[in-house]
Amino acid sequence: MLKDLFFRLRSVFRRETVESEMEEELRFHSEQQIGKYLKTGMSRDEARRRVRMDFGGLEQVKEECRDARGVALVETVAQDLRYGWRTLLKSPGFAAAALFTLALGIGANTAIFSVVYGLLLQPLPFRDAARLVLLHETTPKVGEVSVSYPNFQDWRAQSHTFSEMAAVTNVGFNMAGASQPENIGGLAVSPNFLSMAGIRPVIGRGFTPDEETAGTAPVLLLSYALWQSHFGGNRRVIGQTIRLDSRTVTIVGVLPRDFRWVETCDVMEPMGVWATNNDTVAVRGDRGDLTVVGRLAAGVRMEQARAEMDGIAARLARAYPEANDQCGVKLQSLRESFSGDARPSMLVLLGAAIFVLLVACANVANLFLMRGAVRAKEMALRIAIGASSGRIVRQILTESFRVALLGGLAGVGLALAGIPAMARLIPADTLAGASVGMNGAVLLFSAGLVVLSVLAFGLAPALHSARGNVHADLKEGGKTTSGGGRNRWRGLLATSEIALALILLVGAGLMMKSLYRLLAVDSGFRPERVLKMEMSLRTAQYDKDPAVIGFWQQVLERVRALPGVESAAVGTAIPLTDDHSRTDITVEGMALPKLSDYPHPDTHIVSPGYEKTLGIRVLRGRGFTDADRENAPRVALVNAIVAQRLFPGADPVGKRFTLGRLEANRAPKWLTIVGVLADTKMYGLANPARLEVYVPFRQEAAHEMVLLVKSGMEPAAQVAAIRGVVVSIDKEQPIFGIATMQEVVNASVSTRRITLILLGLFSGLALVLASIGIYGVISYSVAQRAREIGIRIALGAQRGDVLRLVLAQGGKISLAGIAIGTAASAGLTWLMAKLLYSVSAVDPATFTAVAFVLAVIAMTASYIPARRALRVDPLVALRNE
Amino acid sequence: MKERIELPQGTLDLLILRTLALEPQHGWGISERVQQMSSDVLRIQQGSLYPALHRLERRGWIRAHWGTSDNNRRAKYYELTKTGRLQLATERASWQKLTAAVAQVLDPA
Repeated sequence: MLKDLFFRLRSVFRRETVESEMEEELRFHSEQQIGKYLKTGMSRDEARRRVRMDFGGLEQVKEECRDARGVALVETVAQDLRYGWRTLLKSPGFAAAALFTLALGIGANTAIFSVVYGLLLQPLPFRDAARLVLLHETTPKVGEVSVSYPNFQDWRAQSHTFSEMAAVTNVGFNMAGASQPENIGGLAVSPNFLSMAGIRPVIGRGFTPDEETAGTAPVLLLSYALWQSHFGGNRRVIGQTIRLDSRTVTIVGVLPRDFRWVETCDVMEPMGVWATNNDTVAVRGDRGDLTVVGRLAAGVRMEQARAEMDGIAARLARAYPEANDQCGVKLQSLRESFSGDARPSMLVLLGAAIFVLLVACANVANLFLMRGAVRAKEMALRIAIGASSGRIVRQILTESFRVALLGGLAGVGLALAGIPAMARLIPADTLAGASVGMNGAVLLFSAGLVVLSVLAFGLAPALHSARGNVHADLKEGGKTTSGGGRNRWRGLLATSEIALALILLVGAGLMMKSLYRLLAVDSGFRPERVLKMEMSLRTAQYDKDPAVIGFWQQVLERVRALPGVESAAVGTAIPLTDDHSRTDITVEGMALPKLSDYPHPDTHIVSPGYEKTLGIRVLRGRGFTDADRENAPRVALVNAIVAQRLFPGADPVGKRFTLGRLEANRAPKWLTIVGVLADTKMYGLANPARLEVYVPFRQEAAHEMVLLVKSGMEPAAQVAAIRGVVVSIDKEQPIFGIATMQEVVNASVSTRRITLILLGLFSGLALVLASIGIYGVISYSVAQRAREIGIRIALGAQRGDVLRLVLAQGGKISLAGIAIGTAASAGLTWLMAKLLYSVSAVDPATFTAVAFVLAVIAMTASYIPARRALRVDPLVALRNE
Repeated sequence: MKERIELPQGTLDLLILRTLALEPQHGWGISERVQQMSSDVLRIQQGSLYPALHRLERRGWIRAHWGTSDNNRRAKYYELTKTGRLQLATERASWQKLTAAVAQVLDPA
């Protein structure tokens, strides 16, 4: 093997020597032979002629010797490359068309793959991240919920399938000291989280085991980004203190630059510090915002862990029925939780991009076939003077490779330009800190695409040229040949382009219809001209309820007085998010149900004007008024579903319920229902409305509220004025999450919207390429058949006959493409069923409309060259023969 | 002129190896020798001789060196290598087996 390689390489690198040796060897042979013939009395000329005939073809013998030496692969590729540059430069139109088409195809793929890689493939910045698992609790009524802290502690104590477990919870802080008060996001973690995930602070220390228990001194780690932006990357930051929520916290370290979590993490504190300020850690029934991360023990599979956790959850449900009745555990790989929502969209888009590339390849293959026809004579000549058919295939493949390589480079360039725009389209919470951009893996993918393209568009033309008929091609003397096989190929390619374009159009059509239906859904509220901004009262001055209520009351009064404000309200929840608190309720006089069967509505705390500001209809009774204050009778609003489910056939207004279950030793605080509101889509447009109850903000204090302002003008123009109002009340109070409700609506469908935009872009691209493809095939065939058409016209064929003749060809191609595409779509669209809303994956209307559009466009693309056929002058066409 | 027979596929290598087993020889010499030894019945196509020689050289069955011919010209001489000699023995054996078998089929005893 090694000797063989050495032999080949010698032939390559000492090419000059080897060539001249071969030359000399063959010359020696000729001269010996001539000498021999001379001896038989032949004339010298006759002898020479005989020797040449004996050899058959000197160049061919040489070529075969080179092949035999194994020069071929290395040497001829280099030679083909040199030759190819020249031919490519000689036909710049062809080169530009092929390059541009491929650049689009490869560019689209590279850009999408950069997102897919960033979101789905890029290794998470944790040690052995594949063995990290995220655990949630589940309840039959809600599904996935957060974990209660006591349950987490029991899981950790009882599980053997996890070598380690850590709790992680989201926390928000108000940070003072910067130019403007800020609300920052953070994580509270069990101290072992850092070592379990393999995270080493870049400076300072991690957390110590005794920082797990409540009462520990307040410390935190800064995120790398916050360290840079607020502390200038100063290494002496360790030991310094900052003010969070009017507490003084000591900085003990800085997280590594690549650390990221599903939620934003500006700072990280140990669980003990969090527990100090949260007495809920001791309440088993309280499921705040906690998730659990576990590391699977060596050799344990996910299913084994799942089985064990099911058992533990069942034991805990029996031991603590009040808090845990019917509660289960859901295990999810960390990767899935980082990218779960975007995954189906991204995979559909990647598939779509690959289809675009295939269409592009089909177009380029068509170009090559067209050029192959023109170059048939050149190829025939090369075969005649001794190029083997393998050599011809190789030559065309190297030409294809060069086109693909240049196309790939241009495509990567396009992608570089397009990636930032695409990355901006992706909502930050979908990204979960992932970086989307060009990197080694993405470039490798693009390189793979180049190779794939060469095979996709280069192989057919190459094989076709090599099979060329030397005699026929040479005889036809320079005229472009009419290859029946070539035309069949081209027709097939155009057919497949139409089919691929149709699949993409169907996908885009289904997405468009879904989004249209989704946006047409009755959301139950009106987002127009409503601004939302969030505030969280976290400092010590708001420890007592009256201070909290007073703050909100003041904000409302002053904001309502601002010019242009139509109405203003505060509420703990706004529609189309999924962060709502829920509690069991007991309706007065109802038969007490099993623990797991209590009604479990979302409970919102809202101010008067809430329903007016959001445009939620009042179906019965009234909304809250200023009279529903601290010492007034306790009241509540319910939505239509509560009215139907809990008070079927009766008027709920005047009925009473209490938050929570009845307890033996405590008198219930009854709330009287004063009104029924229309259902609103609290959980997103695609999700059904749930049970909702509302209580007035002066009867139930809430520290975190959303301020909603409806104004007569552009809502964003009010931001500065409202900020001024808040500062005038509490200058340290940060405002965050500022957006218009229209933006909230848009964000709730953003993944669908991006998918639609990109799918639309891709299918448009495919449609254009496919039209060019069919246009090319038809106009080429018209040019080829000019003589035939000329004769027909000379014999008296009418315009209509000629048009029909040409259009029939286009019609055949497009009908076949549409038929194949429709069948393939029907087989493929179920892959995107998860992305659709109230549209069947084989929606007949969409399929029909797309087929119709495609047919019209394909026929238009054939009609243009067909008209050229009408202009054929029979005399000219015949004379040209 | 005598009747000439086309060389069956695969026998060219065997003939080259056999010829070179006698003594190192250049390409032209090999073709002459084969013609002569077969009493003018076998004649090697010049066009296939040289590719075959280069192929055998690459396989390491023969090796080449430049020498001087009888008429004092520089010529490329080929000679059998050790593996070439072994290869000749194997190919010769299988050839004999083949011809014997074919003969047996043609004229059953």
